[in-house]
Amino acid sequence: MGEDTLDPVIHTQARLRIMTTLTALPDGDRLTFTKLQSLLDASAGNLSTHLRRLEDAGYVQVVKTHQGRIPSTQVGVTRTGRRAFEDYVAHLRTLLTPPTDPAEAQEER
Amino acid sequence: MVEDTPLDPAASAALIAEQRAKVEAAVDVDGRILFGAWGVAWLLGFGLVWLVAVDRLQMSAGAAMVTFIASLAGAGAVTAWHLTVKSRGVRGTSARQGAMYGWSWFLSFGVVAALGVALDRAGAGEEAMGVAMMVSSLLVVGALYMAGGAIWEERIQWALGAWICVSTIAAALVGSPHMYLVMCIAGGGGMVVAAAAEAVRRRSRARASDG
Repeated sequence: MGEDTLDPVIHTQARLRIMTTLTALPDGDRLTFTKLQSLLDASAGNLSTHLRRLEDAGYVQVVKTHQGRIPSTQVGVTRTGRRAFEDYVAHLRTLLTPPTDPAEAQEER
Repeated sequence: MVEDTPLDPAASAALIAEQRAKVEAAVDVDGRILFGAWGVAWLLGFGLVWLVAVDRLQMSAGAAMVTFIASLAGAGAVTAWHLTVKSRGVRGTSARQGAMYGWSWFLSFGVVAALGVALDRAGAGEEAMGVAMMVSSLLVVGALYMAGGAIWEERIQWALGAWICVSTIAAALVGSPHMYLVMCIAGGGGMVVAAAAEAVRRRSRARASDG
């Protein structure tokens, strides 16, 4: 990955929102697929596609269980995912930090 | 959710802030609602029991007790509803922690109920029963609030638990019937103050994140 490119696995509107949602929860917490869907206003198909991409990268873990007889899919961020998100945010911050030339920084605002 | 729209860094930062706020609001357990509901229940319930105990209000002791229990049940229903809504769809560590904490309340009050049965069998009089039931119930509330405050690092909840313990010590020393007035004002009032403190804390935090 180059210096200026943000992690492409996270850097799309859909996946950034998924990662933000999951990392906003305390360590060890998961959301049901339905809850995640409602927090993102996403369609099930769209969400599944992006989750698969994140799962392939090792950023999220999708657990399929049963609550009694009802199947339940739960999604949580992995340690790798949390670290990747923190790196992404840190990288974002450096990109957003005003340039060293104060005049240029003024112009940006 | 829009399919892969290109993002610039500023848009990414805005999206993170917006989504994080949305998630936090969805799982946020609101002390204003919980403390407020219990505060009102205690003010009404203990107040009524005291008024009846000192003959300022014409009502049978049984009817007063039923009203007292009904007001507590109302606050309990508000609590259960709020916690159910906020924990819906959340699994894992928080859910397990919440379940253990919930069972702690349930079992502790089981012990209080058992104490009542045991005292009754041992021939305790009405006044002794009243004192034992109130003090042991408040011990559970105060202790579990302090424990909850410590677990979730919520200062207001911890302070409220500590305040309830202090109020209960005072009430126990005052004895029947004015112990009910102590719990009405100090206990119920303390709950309302905690709800107000929570409101202030939230407002100052919101202002800090706006700035």
